[in-house]
Amino acid sequence: MTERIGEQAGQEIPDTVAIPADATVAPATAAEIRGRRQWPLPKLAVPDAPLLEVRDLKTYFKLRDGWVKAVDGVSFGLADGEALGLAGESACGKTTTALSLMQLLPSNGRIRGGSVELFGIDLVPKSEVAMQRYRWREISMVFQGAMNALNPVIRVRDQIAEPLRYRLGQPEATSTARAVELLDMVGIPRRRSGAYPHELSGGMRQRAMIAMALACDPAIVIGDEPTTALDVMVQAQILELLERLRRELGLSLILITHDLSVLAETCDRVLVMYAGRVAEEGPVSRVFTAPRHPYTRKLVGSFPDLRGDRRQLAVIPGQPPDLLTPPPGCRFAPRCEFAMPVCTEVVPPEVRFSDGVRVACHLFPTSDVETVSTGASAPASAAPAAPA
Amino acid sequence: MTAAEGAIQKVRSERWRLFLRNTGSFARRYASRADGVVGLLILLGFAVLALAPNVFVGPLETATRATGHAFDPPSATHIFGADELGRDMLNRTIHGARISMTIGLMATLITVVVGALVGIIAGYVGGRLDAVLMRISDFFLVLPTFVLAIILAPVIIEVVGSDAEILGIRATLLVIIVVIGLTSWATTARIIRSQVLSLKGRMFVDRARVIGAGPGRIMVRHILPNVMNLIVAQAVLTFATAVFTETTLSFIGLGDPFQPSWGEILNSAQSTGAPGLGAWWYIAPPAVSVVLVVLSFTLVGNALDDLLNPKSASRR
Repeated sequence: MTERIGEQAGQEIPDTVAIPADATVAPATAAEIRGRRQWPLPKLAVPDAPLLEVRDLKTYFKLRDGWVKAVDGVSFGLADGEALGLAGESACGKTTTALSLMQLLPSNGRIRGGSVELFGIDLVPKSEVAMQRYRWREISMVFQGAMNALNPVIRVRDQIAEPLRYRLGQPEATSTARAVELLDMVGIPRRRSGAYPHELSGGMRQRAMIAMALACDPAIVIGDEPTTALDVMVQAQILELLERLRRELGLSLILITHDLSVLAETCDRVLVMYAGRVAEEGPVSRVFTAPRHPYTRKLVGSFPDLRGDRRQLAVIPGQPPDLLTPPPGCRFAPRCEFAMPVCTEVVPPEVRFSDGVRVACHLFPTSDVETVSTGASAPASAAPAAPA
Repeated sequence: MTAAEGAIQKVRSERWRLFLRNTGSFARRYASRADGVVGLLILLGFAVLALAPNVFVGPLETATRATGHAFDPPSATHIFGADELGRDMLNRTIHGARISMTIGLMATLITVVVGALVGIIAGYVGGRLDAVLMRISDFFLVLPTFVLAIILAPVIIEVVGSDAEILGIRATLLVIIVVIGLTSWATTARIIRSQVLSLKGRMFVDRARVIGAGPGRIMVRHILPNVMNLIVAQAVLTFATAVFTETTLSFIGLGDPFQPSWGEILNSAQSTGAPGLGAWWYIAPPAVSVVLVVLSFTLVGNALDDLLNPKSASRR
């Protein structure tokens, strides 16, 4: 199985060597981003800080029986203008990670550790009031299921004007005119801007949600399964739209999806999560053609092949662990076909390869490689993100 | 004119055009319902009588003037006959429409405003406030409306004084209005609260909160328009009940004898023994008016409920 994937793709997994520091191209810093932004950066922004830097994020949910470790030590970086995909099966912590960035967790959710640095400003210790400055103005979101996220009795245009009015304090006339422009930009003609949500098709509603996310010219847009409820044709149109907006506006995107084909098409880098931890992270072309972590291999392998045998779909036996009491070592160990004794005892350290891939697995020895402790040098992996 | 101003102008004119189009399509849908149209026509007739009684029968003073003889049966000069003092019944009935409809309208306003306010706040804020507000509404729901009204009306009249005038309305009338409002807001509040509870769980409310709308904005801008259909239908049905309650309270002698509402007329008919004398024309005009108004309001209310309620089957 291991060989098959590697051979099929004609790819070879490079040696695990530390990347020389001078080999990386520094991603755009806050100072450079300032130049093309419509609004000034937050006052506290550090000039030479990267766009987003998440370190060792731990988000737990309090239940009666204890804390559910939904996100447990996730680190990643997002460079300016980059698209990062969060992949993984249901309940692996993708959405919780994204919601933690905006601190929109349910009432029983808490960020118990780590940092979320936007322009070098740590958002985790911010109060609810202080977070209001960043929500939607710096980090906005395209919600899943556009029909439910739109108020049925308010015109789409007026709903898109809302963030402009509430967040930026624009008067009604200006914000409405801007909303019409935004709708035009996402491909909803001006004469349809006065429509009510039920008068629009599913694809148009999703476009409207994208327009709403773009309203305040945010630094980062999070797409939480933006194409899940749509048919394939509309899905392609929405992805094309996101792609175009990224090109034209230099949008930085975090795309949450369990659809790997969507990820492969839109994202520069992919972060594969399993049971609240990072399993593998790296450029899309590398991760999908030469998956290293046994979980990634299984995940890529379980994707149905159009030309393959349709009766036998590779599935991953077993179920994700209960995050109330996760296994002590590697969380994938109980389902892993390569599991070794060490896997059930020691948490695998994150190992970085020369092609920018980062893997947390005991299969790759750490003796002669740089161990990525908590992703302190994670942005380095963002730099050589050049899709083949 | 700059491009932005042009766009704003365009947005405004388009908003007006859409409003007209939506109103037009609603009117067409309403016109297709025979019961609603009949109810609306009867209602319009009474509304015209209530708004301009002077045009039809002369000012209020003429209603108290005896132009015929005691218990004159209907004739060419007195179409509805005359009462025990020889006053024209048609004149009294039309002036009665004014009083009855005014009381109905004011009581409905109080009911709907208080009911919507309590319902939306209790439903949206929830928690302890919800519990307190709902226990209060339980109190008013459990008490029989009529008994409460009979007790409250004389008490309030005693406190305020029967000759006082507030905002140009005689205190006794105001008391009836307040009593009807007090006894009927709880139902409206309950209905609206239950709808708000289901709306609160919808994602667009979360979204509104994320993009920066505070609780007040969410309640006014996002929740209120969504329960407007309930409020309108509830208002129309409350109006019917209010007219009926007013008639009943006046009939048992809690009304204002100087303001001839339909209930007052029925009250005087009863006290002079009109039924025993066979003077049906003393009873029929106000009684039929009450029945017609209540019926037409119910018809309009049901039609509106069907058209405005998104879940109803007859909506197209």
